[in-house]
Amino acid sequence: MAEHTDTAESAKNRTAYWLIAPGALWMTLFLAVPILMIVYVSFWTQTTFKIEPILTLASWKQFFASETYIGSLFTTIRLWLIVLAATFLLGYPTALFVGLFVKSKTISTVLLVICVIPFWTSFLIRVLAWRPMLGKEGAINIILQKLGLISSPIEALLFSEISVVIGMTQIYVVFMVGPIAFMLSRIDRNIIEAARDLGASFWRIFFKIILPLSLPGVIVGAIFVSVMVLGEFATAAALSGRKVNLLGNIIVTQVGSLKWALASVVGVILTVIMGLVIAGFLRVVDLKKEL
Amino acid sequence: MESRVLKPVLAVYVGLFILFLYGPFIVLGILSFQQGPEGGPQFPIIEWSTYWYRHIFGLTPPSRVAPLPFGQSLIRSLTLAFMTMVTSTVLGVMSAQAFRSKFKGSGVVFYLIVLGMMVPGVLTGLGTALTANSLGIERHWWSTAYVTHVVYTFPFAFLVMLAILNRFDSSVEEASWSLGVPPMRTFRKVTFPLIFPGVLSAMLFAFTLSYDEFSRTLFASGRDQTLPLAIYGTFAVEIHPNIFAFGVLTTLFSFSLLTVYAILMTMSVRRAGKAAIQEDIA
Amino acid sequence: MAETISNISLAGIVKRYGDVTALDGVSLVLDKNEYVSLLGPSGSGKTSLLRVIAGFERPDAGTVTVFGRDVTNLAPHKRGIGFVFQNFALFPHLSVYQNVAFGLVNADTPPPADEVRRRVTEMIRLVGLTGLEGRDIGQISGGQRQRVALARTLVTEPRLILLDEPLGALDANLRMRMRDELRNIRERLGVTFLHVTGSETEALAMGDRVVVLDRGAIAQFATPDTIMNSPANPNVARFLNRYNVLLGELRGDAFVTAYGDLAYGKRIESSDGAYGIRYDRIAVVGETAPSAGVEVPVTFVASEYLGSAVMYFFEAADGHILEVEHHLGKGRMPEYRSREKYKLQWKPEDAIVFG
Repeated sequence: MAEHTDTAESAKNRTAYWLIAPGALWMTLFLAVPILMIVYVSFWTQTTFKIEPILTLASWKQFFASETYIGSLFTTIRLWLIVLAATFLLGYPTALFVGLFVKSKTISTVLLVICVIPFWTSFLIRVLAWRPMLGKEGAINIILQKLGLISSPIEALLFSEISVVIGMTQIYVVFMVGPIAFMLSRIDRNIIEAARDLGASFWRIFFKIILPLSLPGVIVGAIFVSVMVLGEFATAAALSGRKVNLLGNIIVTQVGSLKWALASVVGVILTVIMGLVIAGFLRVVDLKKEL
Repeated sequence: MESRVLKPVLAVYVGLFILFLYGPFIVLGILSFQQGPEGGPQFPIIEWSTYWYRHIFGLTPPSRVAPLPFGQSLIRSLTLAFMTMVTSTVLGVMSAQAFRSKFKGSGVVFYLIVLGMMVPGVLTGLGTALTANSLGIERHWWSTAYVTHVVYTFPFAFLVMLAILNRFDSSVEEASWSLGVPPMRTFRKVTFPLIFPGVLSAMLFAFTLSYDEFSRTLFASGRDQTLPLAIYGTFAVEIHPNIFAFGVLTTLFSFSLLTVYAILMTMSVRRAGKAAIQEDIA
Repeated sequence: MAETISNISLAGIVKRYGDVTALDGVSLVLDKNEYVSLLGPSGSGKTSLLRVIAGFERPDAGTVTVFGRDVTNLAPHKRGIGFVFQNFALFPHLSVYQNVAFGLVNADTPPPADEVRRRVTEMIRLVGLTGLEGRDIGQISGGQRQRVALARTLVTEPRLILLDEPLGALDANLRMRMRDELRNIRERLGVTFLHVTGSETEALAMGDRVVVLDRGAIAQFATPDTIMNSPANPNVARFLNRYNVLLGELRGDAFVTAYGDLAYGKRIESSDGAYGIRYDRIAVVGETAPSAGVEVPVTFVASEYLGSAVMYFFEAADGHILEVEHHLGKGRMPEYRSREKYKLQWKPEDAIVFG
């Protein structure tokens, strides 16, 4: 009686390894190595036009000594929190309608598709489209003036933190709507009916049943939005008129002036923040269990 | 009771929400028909015209507004998107196929792949630039930017294929083997035609993501710009309605791509079947 | 001299899934042209055994030999073993004709095109699907799908065909017709069949021999007649769904139960003590009827009409349910009153005892 325990599994495994090897290798070489490279380079010695692999903490000290850089760190965190809150507050009612209130599957799919369609246009064009909306002679100011709500145009709408928040919210809110609507659509309607039969008010049902059950969706949406907003720089560059400097913008400027070491420091800080944020969200909800 | 009030309120809200998503496009679309070349990128519309559309294609007499330098970069972007699409779809199908058997280390590899879509573009772009610099490799859109794009799109293709293969009934493959058909041929004749809709979605994802990719490309590509980089370049200078007209055109292009995808999608299964006969008869 | 080893043999097959042992040393020899039914409760390892033979799973120990060739480590497509799936596993993107032709067209060395056409057309005729060649798989009925699955396998002329409960998904009427068709096809083509089924009726009706699998091991391998009349142990008797199996202890000439000592005719060596009496060998008499043979006092619970027979359920003193089958051919069905007391009687020589 031949024992061939190993051949049974290892034959299957061997095929799997051959299939996974190219992808794993690609990600190791072109993702893992570059990320580690950022960490490594952040300790290199930077002179005006040259960077040398001599390890030093100089760039790190430079970052934490500068008010501008520390300021951009706080701007990034503040903007991230505002956009996160805005996407949640604006997105949740839509998700509630699409995922729970619309009874027909077709209509809810159509509504979701309508929300997703803007993604098939260029990201930069979408950012740019806010300029004629928010400008001094922009659509919003014109409409508000026609309605007699304001007498003179609001200038602060464009090239300010507000415009960046509005732009980012519009671009990223769909990432909040999708996951929440998905979780809401999986709620058993009978539970809600039963609660209603027992005389519970809508708000009670909402806070006791609907919101807790949709929480995994909120977390997934929050992770999506956070990752994208924290790594942002283009929206700020296009809509803030250089008034808002996020960590991403610092990286771009530093690379522009060939300050690779400082750019790397910012990169590492960004990575750490992002890691903490994702870990924090995953602590709230065990996604593997919920999905 | 309250939900009877709430539902219409929410419906109105959703209407406003959609207006919020689409408003900028509507304004952009309107302003793209601004009179030219004097008309600026704001209201009011001096006179409706297609001047700025003609301007993009170089059909207007020279004026103080320089034509958009998009010709070459458009071709680069399309080529890059195609290369990225093919590579990430092939990698995505292979990796998802590998994940059908629980091999050792699959957990680590899964996170390594998914990391590619989670890490912000600024970081992967920066890392790629740093790595290329220290190895003395010159950066180009077709080399460093290309591999970075695949890092970004491959996870999407992988996840799409994983979702498809999770629902795939592997007994049809076993049936094919038991009929004496070797595994590779089984994959081509049975598995692939059945997962083809998924492959198509993975391709669409990879193509559009790469075509529109900006933050990774900014650092990872060299002197020759891709289309998003060229558009970004116009941000710094004065804006004219020609960029709006261009925005309308690229949006139309994306929608035609979507339409082609939808048509291919509905035909795919049937076509795969028909193709199989024709090949067999030949 | 390969022809002298004209059989399929399994030796000491062990298959584990993690901590669960699905097959625990199965050894079996099937003869050429034999139709063998594989019967067992769910979880007994029936499907695992089939998958090991087909090569979809490698055994952890043991060998599979097909006509003298050790195929234990051979890929499924090189084994020449056909497999008909429970869910048929037809190719949904191909037509009926393409499904049947698939194995021939895609073989390592496909036969010439006109031979393919001839064989496929002939096979489609054999299973009675002529006229449906161009249909999609979604456009034909369950029974027709089953025949496509069979035709697809038969046309490649395998020497052994494994059937994994292929009739389970069909309704009773269709199942009966397919059973006859399978027998006809086998007589015409001469292949060995190993047919997994959860239905004891099907197993007994179709098999030249029947394998009874219990918890990953073979409990009995014999002709339907032997299995029916001398089940190897109480579990086999239970799977057959023909025996009331009473628990108790064998003491000398009598089997001691909660209802007294029961006499028996035949004794079968077994580690578990049990007393078996077939459903259709029991007579129901009134509480006051004269004693005869073996007797157990019971209460009537319910009856179930099965078309050709009626099943009556009686409860014994300890709560054990005894079933009595009354064939309608034996006269009109008797009526019993619920919760009334009756007596069950049978002849000792009809009963078997394990111990």
